Order: sequence, then structure tokens, then C-alpha cells
Amino acid sequence: MGNELKEEWTLTAPGIHGELVPMRDLSREEVDFCIVGAGAGGGVLGAKLAEAGFSVVILDAGSHWNPVKDFVSDELESRKLFWMDERITGGDDPIELGSNNSGRGVGGSTVHYSMVAMRAHPDDFRRRTLEGEIAGAEIRDWPLTFADLEPYYEEVEEALQIAGPTRYPWGRRRKRYPQREHELNASAQVLVRGCTKLGISVAPAPIATLSAPHKDRPPCVYRGFCNYGCTTNAKSSTLVTYIPRAIRAGAEVRADSMAAQISTDERGHASGVLYFRKDSRELFRQHAKAVVVAGYAVETPRLLLNSASSLFPHGLANSSGLVGKCFMVHSGHQVFAKFHDRINQYKAPPPGGALTEHFNRTMREADFVCGYTIEVVGPHPVDFASRLATARKLWGAQLRRTMLDYNYYSGIGIVGEILPQQKNMVKLHDTERDEYGLPVPHILFGYHENDQRIIQHAIAKMKEIMEAAGGEDVWSADRTAHLLGTCRMGSDPSDSVINADCRAHDVPNLYICDGSVFPTSTAVNPSLTIQAIAARTADRLIK
Amino acid sequence: MAMSESQEFRTRYPGYNVLDKWSSPDWDDQTREVVRHRLEDVPPVRFFTEHEARTLAAICERIVPQPDRDEALKIPIVPWIDEKLYEYKRDGYRYEELPPQRETWRLGLMGIDETSRALFDGKPFVELEPLSQDVVLHHMERGNAPGAVWEKMPASRFFKSVLSIMIVKIYYAHPRAWNEIGYAGPSSPRGHVRKWEGGRDPWEAHEEETDRVEQRGSRRL
Repeated sequence: MGNELKEEWTLTAPGIHGELVPMRDLSREEVDFCIVGAGAGGGVLGAKLAEAGFSVVILDAGSHWNPVKDFVSDELESRKLFWMDERITGGDDPIELGSNNSGRGVGGSTVHYSMVAMRAHPDDFRRRTLEGEIAGAEIRDWPLTFADLEPYYEEVEEALQIAGPTRYPWGRRRKRYPQREHELNASAQVLVRGCTKLGISVAPAPIATLSAPHKDRPPCVYRGFCNYGCTTNAKSSTLVTYIPRAIRAGAEVRADSMAAQISTDERGHASGVLYFRKDSRELFRQHAKAVVVAGYAVETPRLLLNSASSLFPHGLANSSGLVGKCFMVHSGHQVFAKFHDRINQYKAPPPGGALTEHFNRTMREADFVCGYTIEVVGPHPVDFASRLATARKLWGAQLRRTMLDYNYYSGIGIVGEILPQQKNMVKLHDTERDEYGLPVPHILFGYHENDQRIIQHAIAKMKEIMEAAGGEDVWSADRTAHLLGTCRMGSDPSDSVINADCRAHDVPNLYICDGSVFPTSTAVNPSLTIQAIAARTADRLIK
Repeated sequence: MAMSESQEFRTRYPGYNVLDKWSSPDWDDQTREVVRHRLEDVPPVRFFTEHEARTLAAICERIVPQPDRDEALKIPIVPWIDEKLYEYKRDGYRYEELPPQRETWRLGLMGIDETSRALFDGKPFVELEPLSQDVVLHHMERGNAPGAVWEKMPASRFFKSVLSIMIVKIYYAHPRAWNEIGYAGPSSPRGHVRKWEGGRDPWEAHEEETDRVEQRGSRRL
């Protein structure tokens, strides 16, 4: 890179070892791409576009974390990593948000995710063809196939240096993971023992945490605080992988910038993003030739709906009326049991030590379609005690006594497929406004009968597994994970928001690139698929 | 034979104090600062009225009773809930049947007194015997608590998703709670090595029996 170029590099951003790195200032330019959201989708897309020579600004509502200084080994203090602004949750089965599923800050939810790096399967992209019409649900085939994404899964797995088993037993044959699998922790040993006794196939999980040194990052030391930010940089969040690449390639990552609206010109093309800087009520404008929304399945539809104008009275890119519709999560129900040997479930990585996709398929004998993955969980005391209080309704002396055995409990949980339904949605709240005066999101969610049957089946199976492993005092807790849908991709503009290249049908220079594009939820953790889609979208834009 | 109250919560880890690791490679500066603040900077009550604070303290003593601790050693809970409301720290979501959080807490504490008065001869919650206080809380939990407040705001939602969970979270975020359950606590940068079933790193909590063996056999780490 020439020195004359470096002269524009007047900003600095936190590097991953506590240092400051130089960063370009693009605030006065009309950039090629303004990306809203520096998480799984925005980070990958931003890095690839910048490396291809485009000028890129990535806005994020939260902080640009310095992983070695800002992350703490404490559950309550880590609330700062999560989206804590007001959101209203309702419907028949209202979901928990905040620390359950919503990241905030550069790196997005990959800063606190469980790192389980699974591919979706060929069947996941053609559920409508395979399952047909199901009353009450709006199942759609994806406009992408597994073959379209396969090279991008591989690309992202390489970039994140996924550590996984030599032979992964489910799905298409694949080449070896870039890094060797992690040693099983106690909770994973429990899952493996239970499954093995029952003849259920099980394997170490592929996870986005280093098992060997890679470049300037060390292998995992099993702190177990994966869901609260990794202080050693072993975790391959976008914060320490794609974001540094983006900055090095000349992108500007502008933290503490809350997008309020996408502006459009008289032709109905996106012209930039209006945003608030932290602690200011002044509206700033970033001019851009193209805009990418990558704010995850609540903030993305919210921004599009908040961008309504005379040309787009129902919100931007919403001629189909589908922006915000078919909101999905995963059922994330958990089962815990007490064991004879000490488990110390906080030691980890608790999430994703081992998993089974044995039930991730439509089973001929079952009374439901689709399925679920079972994974290991490892809540720390605040989280575990909360589950005891809400799911088991324990309080008083009984709660304190049960918690005395905290170290002897082990847990597993599912990623269960949820069918898309029109009535599950993210909309703008009628009256409530946030600190900037923007309408807050109002989220409605309720399970489909098929979802309920998956959950019942999964809880029964998980209890069997825990009992087969020698567990006593077996109990379950309800939970959801991930935020998906609300801007689904498809080939028919009247039945989807974006096309297979993530371009909005209604606005030729507007793209959506995050979990909101999923037409169906799949029964695997979504981050790798989000990142593969982002990597593919970047290639489509570069061509 | 009834156990005495002090034995009721007998820990498996009597010699364990997570704070002994303060200067060890398990604690980094930022975590030390967070825990120091939690231990030393217990805030004054600024949001709740005196009666509200006394009511909430009585509720806390039923949700996570601490009869085994002297007053000075009880894990403080009311001040942190008060601070959250005073500083308007949000949770990232609110159930649609609940008003904004300050109003929810004020209404909720008012509702508890309404229920208490309706069930126990006009007495407010703080004047009830502990077992009667539990009856009030059980009514709320089941959603059949009498009181005008609960017609506006579902008692069971308030009890489950706001009141009890907040108390439980604050209790189990305190080092004294970590001690009694043998939680290793902060672990940066050292992390853990012996991850397998029954495995225990020297810097993790010892159990009583293990301790006895080790005192005989080897140096206690």
C-alpha cells in the first residue's frame, strides 16, 4: 500500500491485542458500500469487498471492543455485549431477547455466540419441495442450493480455522476441518456416553475456536466464558478475524453509530444511511453508492420499516409486504441432570463440546417434519440458577440447596427447527419510542404445532440420553436461540424481499446480508450459513 | 430431626474462597475491578421508597433466604435492583403485558401488599410471618393473587420474569454465592486444563473429603 494512500488513514481502531491500528476516514466520501452492522454477515462482506478494492464503511450501533481489555470473566457485567435497548416481546410464546440472542458492538453476536460451526444440509434448501404444503406454515425452498454455498462454507471454515472431528458423520462428505477437534469436556463426555448407550451417532462438535495457534492468535485455554467474550482471542469471532482484515484493506469500521434510516433518491435507489452517534441527537449522513443491511432479524426489518418514505410508504424493499414477516427462532430447550462425578459445567468450551445430528431430518416414524440437533450447554451460576428459578420454579431454601450441587449438573440443549409463519413478526411498535425517537421493535412469536412436536420429541430424547448416561434428577427448561427470517430470499418478488444474491427486489442497490434472509430456519446454528451467504454475496458483487 | 438453619445450606467446599485467587493468573485487571465494585461500592437506595425497599428486602429473604449469614455478610440485593431502576438500565426486552420497568416494579410491590392485605387480615407483606409471605408469593407465582394491581399486570409474569429472576441473578453473581457452590469464577487468562468428568484443576474448589485426603498425602495446592 502506497504512502500517499496512508495519509487518509487518520483514524485508529482497537486492534486485537490491545494496540491501536490505523484506519481510513471515509466519512466525507460517497463510498461504494455502506454496511449497517459489523457482525457475522457485515464483517465477512465488508472484509471481502474492501479487499477487492471497494471503499467500504461499516456502521455498528455498539462499541468497537478491545478483547483483551473490555471483556470480563463475569456474567452480569457482560450485559454490555448485548442489545439492551427496549424491545417489546409478545405473541403466544413471547421470546426472551437481550443477553439471550442479541449482540451489540463490532463483531455482533459472534462475540458471544457458542461458536458451533455447522453447515446446513442439501435438504434444508428445498424443504417446500420435500415436505409440501403444511397448514399454518409458509415453507419455501431457498433460491440457493447447497452446491451454491458449499465452496463458501469451505472458504469461511478456512478463514475461521474451524476445529472439528476428522470424520464428521452427517451430511455431505467434506474435506477435513482446518484444525483438529478439541478434547471433550465433562458435559460433552456425558452426551457421548448417553448417545453411545442408546445407539445414537454422536461426534465432537466443529467449533470456531482455535485448537492450535493460528497466525497471531493462540489456542483456546478453556476459560469457559465463551458466551461473554473471549479475552484470549482464541475464539474466531468476526471481531478478531474479518474485521481486522476489513480495516487493513481500507474499510472504515465506525462504531457507536446507530442507523436510523436508509435514504433514497428520486429514482428510488438507496443513497446512503442516516445515523446517530452515541450520546448525540444529531443525525449524520453517510453517502453510499450501495447500502447493505446486516443488523440481524430484528434490527434489519426495523431499519427498513423505519425508512418508509413517499416512494416506499410501507417501508423500504417492502412491496411484497413481507419485511418483518415469518420471524423465526430456534427452539433451544435444555435438559439437565445431576451426575455422580463432578462435571464443573462452567469449564469449556461448554457450548459445542459434542453434538448429534441424528435427529436432524424428517423421520418417517415421527408425527412432525424436520428435526433438531442436540448440543452441549454449560451455563455459569447466574444463568443456571435463572433456569432453575424459571423452568423448575425453584426458590427459597430449595433453590439454594439445589445450587449447592451446581458442579454436579450437566446439560444439553437443542437447535430445533421452527417453521416460518406469517403471524410471527417484527413490526414497529405503535407508541413506544427509543432514546432517539425511533419506533421500537415489537416482536410477536408463537410456536407452530410442528414446532411443539419437535420440542416434545427432543425433550423426551434428551431425558433418555441423560438417564442412559447415568444422570439423576433430570429436568428440562424452555428456551429459544437465534433470530431468523423477516426478509426472506426468493426468486419471486411478490413472495420474497431479496433474491439469491441478497439484492432487494425493489431497490437495485440495496442488499440484506444476515440471518433475516433465511426462508426456513434449518436445525443447525446459523452463523456459518450467514457467513457463507455473505462470502458468496461479496463474490457476486465483485464480479 | 430438624436441621438447624445454619446447617441447612452446608457447602461441599468449606475451605474455598474464590477471592483467594484475586492475585492469581485467574483474575485480570478488568475483572478485579468489576468484582471490587460489587463488593465495595454497594449503592444507596435512591429509587425505592423506604417501605418499598423494606418490602423488597423481605421478598429477597424468601426467594434466596440467608438465615445462615450475619447481617453484615448477607449478599446485598435490594441496592442493586434499586440502582438498575435509578439508572434505568434495561434488559433488552419487555413483555408486552408489562409497563416500563420502573412502573412495573412500583406496581408489583404495591400489588404484593394488596395480596398480603387481602389474604392476611389487612397486614402488609413486611409484617407477615415468613410462611405467610411464602403463601403470598405462591399466589403470585400461580397467577391467582388477589389485588387490583394484578388485573392490570399479570402477577405470574411479574413474579417469574421480573421479580424472582432479578433477585436470583444478583445473588449468584456474588463471590460468597460462588464460594458456597464451588464455582471457579473468573478464569482469565489462565483458563482450565482438567476438563474431563471428575477432573479438577488445583485452582478449582476442593471438597471436604478431597481436602482430608490431600492434607494426609500431599501438599495442598
